[in-house]
Parts: sequence; C-alpha cells; structure tokens
Amino acid sequence: MSADQDELTGELRRLLAELTGHRLALTAPLDTALLRDGIGLDSLGGTVLLTEIERRYGVDIAAEDLNLDALASIGTLAAYLARRGEPRSRPPAPAPDSEGGPA
Amino acid sequence: MIKCVIWDLDNTLLDGVYLESPGEPPAPNAELTAVLHELAGRGILQAVASRNPPEACRYAARALDHAFAAAQCGWGAKPAAITAITTELGLTEDEVAFVDDDPLERAEVSFSLPDVLVLAPGDVRQAAAWPLFSPPVVTAEARRRGELYLQRRARQEEAQAFGGSRDEFLLHSRTSVTIGAAGTGDLARLHELSVRTHQFNSTGTPFPEAGFAGLLDSAAHRVVTVRLSDRFGDDGLVGACIVATVPGETGWQVPLMMMSCRALGRGVIDALLTWICRTARAAGAARVTLPCVINPRNVPLRIALTGAGFRTTSQAGTGEVAEYVRDLSQPVAELPSWVVS
Repeated sequence: MSADQDELTGELRRLLAELTGHRLALTAPLDTALLRDGIGLDSLGGTVLLTEIERRYGVDIAAEDLNLDALASIGTLAAYLARRGEPRSRPPAPAPDSEGGPA
Repeated sequence: MIKCVIWDLDNTLLDGVYLESPGEPPAPNAELTAVLHELAGRGILQAVASRNPPEACRYAARALDHAFAAAQCGWGAKPAAITAITTELGLTEDEVAFVDDDPLERAEVSFSLPDVLVLAPGDVRQAAAWPLFSPPVVTAEARRRGELYLQRRARQEEAQAFGGSRDEFLLHSRTSVTIGAAGTGDLARLHELSVRTHQFNSTGTPFPEAGFAGLLDSAAHRVVTVRLSDRFGDDGLVGACIVATVPGETGWQVPLMMMSCRALGRGVIDALLTWICRTARAAGAARVTLPCVINPRNVPLRIALTGAGFRTTSQAGTGEVAEYVRDLSQPVAELPSWVVS
C-alpha cells in the first residue's frame, strides 16, 4: 500500500469513528465490513459518509456504482478512492484573484 | 411541498427584540402565531432559527404554546442554522420555508440556500394559502409530527450518551417493530407515505389510495405495513411495501418499498428487508427482485439494499430504474428479537 493510501485509510478510519461514535473503526482490520455487523454503519451513517466523501474527495460513489461495492469494507473504500480519486486528488489550482487582493 | 417553516424570533414571531426587553420579554405576534398554529395543524413542522440565547426559544415555545420540532439559537449565520435544522429533521432545502423580518438575513439565506422558500413576515399569511403549504392528505400521524420529532430528539440525545452498540441501544430503548398486513384503515397513511417519503422510496412517485385498496384483496399481492414504537414514543405506521407473487414463479417482486425518514437510523429498513427475504425463502422463492429508481435522494435505501445483500447488473442513470436482486441461496440474516410479525 502506498503512503498516500495509508494516509487516506487513516482519514477514512477517523471519519468512520466519528460517524459511528465508536473507536472500533480506528483499529479494525481492513476487511471489516462497514454496513450492519462489523463497523455498524447504517443507512443514515452511510449516507453522511458518502456526502462527506463527495465533499472531501470530489467522488460521487452513489452515482458511479449502483452496487456501492466500495462500502464493503474499510479496505475496499480506501482502494476505490485511491483508484478513482487519483486524477482529482490534488485540489484545483486557485483561480487568479481578479480583485488583486493580497497574495 | 413545504414540510417545515423555520421562524426568526426578534420582530418576527415576537413583537420586539428579546434581549432588549429583559424584564418583560416581547409578546408573540398575534397574526403570525395564528398562522403558525394553522400550519402546524396541517402537519407542517415549526422550527426556530434565532440569534439569541437558547432561553429565548424556550420562552417563545411557552408564549406561543407550541413545542418546536427543532431550534437553533446562537450567533451563527442563518444558512448554517437552517442546514442544521434540515439535517436534524431529514429534510431537503426545497421542503423548508424561512421567515425573517431582516432583509439582510433573507438575502443571505436566498444566496446560500437558493432552494429554500424565503418569506418576509408580511407575506406569510398569504403564502399559507398556496398549494405548497397545503398537503393533500393530513393524517393523525402527520398532525402529531412535531411531537414525534421531539421524541426523536430525546432519543438521539440518549443514544449519544449511551455507550453500547446500536443494536444494544435499540434493545435498551425497547424498540418494537411490527410487520403485518395492511387494512382499509391504513390506506390514507399509505398514500401519504408514498407522497412524503424520498430517502427510502424505491419508485419516487406517489401511489394512489385506490391503488393500495385494489391490492388488499389481490391473491397475487401483499401490502405489508411496518409499525414502530419504543419507550420514547409511538411512531405508528412508518413504512410499507408491496410484494407481488406469481404462481409457478420462483421469485418474489417488490414493486414498492417506502419508509419514513423518522425511522432512519433505527434498524427498521434493515429489519423489513430481512423479513421479506426470510418470508420469501420460507415460501420457496429463489430470489427477491426490487426495482429501484436511481436518484440522489434515495441513496439511504440503496445503502440498505447493499447491506441486505441485494445486487444489480444494471447501468441505470439518474431517473432510471435499476433492478436489485437478492439471491436467497445466500445466507439471510436472523430477524432481530424486537421484530414481531
């Protein structure tokens, strides 16, 4: 696993721990299921997760994958984002400030 | 359809500025109070977003004799307060109206949240007559909605303080889900659910009362209802589905699945999907097929389908229907102990 993907996995673990209110997501094995048993994410938590992922990484998983395979486990989610997010992993360069404000 | 009106307090619901009259807080505005009660009677939620300390909301609730479904009091921007309220109540921006006397606040909300209906206090009485504020069906459940949201808040606060897992909390709350056959007394509520549910709605289109009525006596169909209660309160009929069976066919079809967002996060949709799969398997079915329209609003339903083992081979785009199939030769979860059927 690349350093980037390690970092991404760490971010996702923290996000999942926040959403579920449990520390389990911080240390659970990568193949732990996200939904139902496992991390215990329900449809509400899953929806907030997908919204937050779209906001942070610009990837709309719900529109791209009707089966939501990415939500199988922490590992599949990180791998999906690493693969899918690559072309857009860097934020777009800021537009030139037409007001000419301070640099 | 507007499901919630979010009110400013100072010089809107109250005839004056709360913090400027410490001895005797301003009285409620009589005209707006009447409109608020009229709208609440139609099942429309009432909430408060005010730049005031929280006691201002408690005072307003007492003075207006109305328990608000949600209240955001503080010094933050109004758009953030409105977003917090819509998230808490499970609503979208186009389902809320915002009333404020301050033109700057109104402009800020219109700019940040363009789908919110923004009104000045003087326009509210007239607006209340618009079709947008007149739900076609108002059931007892809808009229009690404000009260139910208060129970929800109490439940959420306790769930956050509770240390165990979600399942442990559901047991601890004495959650009870009853799955049964629909009767004629359920028809109005079933139609209302088909109109009002979005996050857990597989078709995204209203289903007429007569349509449900026609299925009650059909040998090839079952209209299945889901009722929910716990020690915080009784939510009544929160969800339903239609199951279609064809003699000689080895699969069950679910042409409609719908669930109130009030049941969100309480294990009910998972329980219903598990019940369908187990009942179909016991009846000898090899699979369950559930057509689901793909749109950004019913993502929670698709997450529940994924969690219940449904798969699709469809490439449907937004607005199109994808057929989700559950292969019953794969293991099916046990029904939780708090489900009665």
